[in-house]
Amino acid sequence: MLFEVANLTKRFDGLTAVADLSFSIAHGEIVGVFGPNGSGKTTLLSLIAGMLVPTAGRIVWKDREIQGAKPHDIAAAGVVKTFQNPQLFAELSVFEHLMIAGHLMLKRRLGWRRAATLFNPDTGHAGADLEKRATDVLRLCRLEAARDQAAAGLSYGEEKMLGVAMALMCEPELLLLDEPASGLGQPEIENLEAVLRDLRSHGTTLCVIDHKVGFLGKLADRAISLHHGAKIAEGTPAQVLNDPRVIAAYLGQHHA
Amino acid sequence: MRLVLAAAAFALLPLVVKSDFILTILVFSFLLGMLAVGFNLIFGYTGQLSMFHAAAFGISAYATYLSMTHWGTSFWTGMLIASALVLALSVIVGTICFRFRLKEFYFAVVTLAFSEMARLVVLNWNGVTNGTLGIILQEKPNIWLPGQGLVKLEGTLMWYYVSLVALALTVIVCLRLVNSWMGRCFAAIRLNDELGDTLGINVFRYKLAAFVVGNIIAAITGGLYAFYLGSIEPGFLSIDQSLAIVAMVLLGGRGAVAAPVIGALVLTALPHMIHLGAELRSIVYGAILILTILLMPQGIYGTLALLGRRRAV
Repeated sequence: MLFEVANLTKRFDGLTAVADLSFSIAHGEIVGVFGPNGSGKTTLLSLIAGMLVPTAGRIVWKDREIQGAKPHDIAAAGVVKTFQNPQLFAELSVFEHLMIAGHLMLKRRLGWRRAATLFNPDTGHAGADLEKRATDVLRLCRLEAARDQAAAGLSYGEEKMLGVAMALMCEPELLLLDEPASGLGQPEIENLEAVLRDLRSHGTTLCVIDHKVGFLGKLADRAISLHHGAKIAEGTPAQVLNDPRVIAAYLGQHHA
Repeated sequence: MRLVLAAAAFALLPLVVKSDFILTILVFSFLLGMLAVGFNLIFGYTGQLSMFHAAAFGISAYATYLSMTHWGTSFWTGMLIASALVLALSVIVGTICFRFRLKEFYFAVVTLAFSEMARLVVLNWNGVTNGTLGIILQEKPNIWLPGQGLVKLEGTLMWYYVSLVALALTVIVCLRLVNSWMGRCFAAIRLNDELGDTLGINVFRYKLAAFVVGNIIAAITGGLYAFYLGSIEPGFLSIDQSLAIVAMVLLGGRGAVAAPVIGALVLTALPHMIHLGAELRSIVYGAILILTILLMPQGIYGTLALLGRRRAV
């Protein structure tokens, strides 16, 4: 198995945000994690990406336990997360964002030879590759028109796409997306779907969380539903969405 | 391009300006400019308000002198040893601060505490540092000149060129660094280190890198400055010295590598240009500083660049 979470638990003082959660993701899958607001979805992604340390349990990536590792080490290992509320380097241009996000790519290509490129700005092939990839990612995410615009002036939809674009620059093998569709208009959601499908066809594994079921229902191969941090259903999106426990979690007991 | 022109203009200046007074002010400005450019790598580019800069500067001045008198090294070897010492201290102080994720105000206060520790050691270690009295440096470094061999580095004109070259080298090194992939890491840390972390940037490593490089530049400056001045005293490591460096950067501008040099020029020359009594002079000097920072938050360079762009539009 490519990725596995086993008995993962996160407690904040009295509150249990993630409770004894176990699931796995196979290579090339798109897994959707559903749940109403406050069900522990964002905490789960933060635990996987290393921004929080679990209270108990294991997170295994390619046979290596990564729980408690530093976020930059987890990103370097190939697990990259986007933020629900876009995090940006406000004063920099869109293209500069992608060049910063290309850090891991340059690191993988050059290794310690990067030190030699410090005082000689010509990074050779690796530098040219980086710019080419940034241009490709811009095109894929339909951000070409905003290439030289400062991030502070982007629309909300563009900000969210820029978050995805930066994650793509990290060459992720497992991409964790935190509510990528929230706040987007219909054309932007369709574009996002196209981008994610394209990624999967190139071998990227995706784990997407969302509280809206429509977008994820179409996209995901497999779904997991969380309620109060615990898994209440797992299966195809249709199975999960029709599960009485899931309906009860979303709409209250008497609708189930 | 503008930098090359500025460097050429300064290189040719002594052909026109013969006044020893003006050239002396310029030597101090170049050396302090170098100090400010190095500091700006930590402050302006990586966003960490370090108060350790005066300590790096002062420790190196003392260490250069001490290795010359106690180990009989040349000035340049002494400077190398002093820089190695500052490198080691920077790694220790930086590791403590950055491992504990000290930011902004907390980082400033803790680095200030380390700086004060160093100042108190220098102040009280009478047998070695001569305490409050400081040390008079009579020796001058030797340098090798084409055609003349080894000569003593003395006289304002020689110091003028040595400090100009040192400043130019500092600016070149910082320009290269800032425009490299490491400069992108610095920007990521300054603007949003949490995001940088999730993008695979080792925030600790590159904060430390900026801190160490900036402090080594301060260390090199410390040796040169002390031997040009001809004396060292504990005031080199004082909070006033740290604040003066911050003022140079704020005044000149932190958005461009060489901009702090403008701040160093203004702050070095200004006291000599206000012909008033000492008390009044301090007030006028302070007022000019406050007004400039209030009216030009981007610094002199930033404001001029902005005006230039507006005119072009």
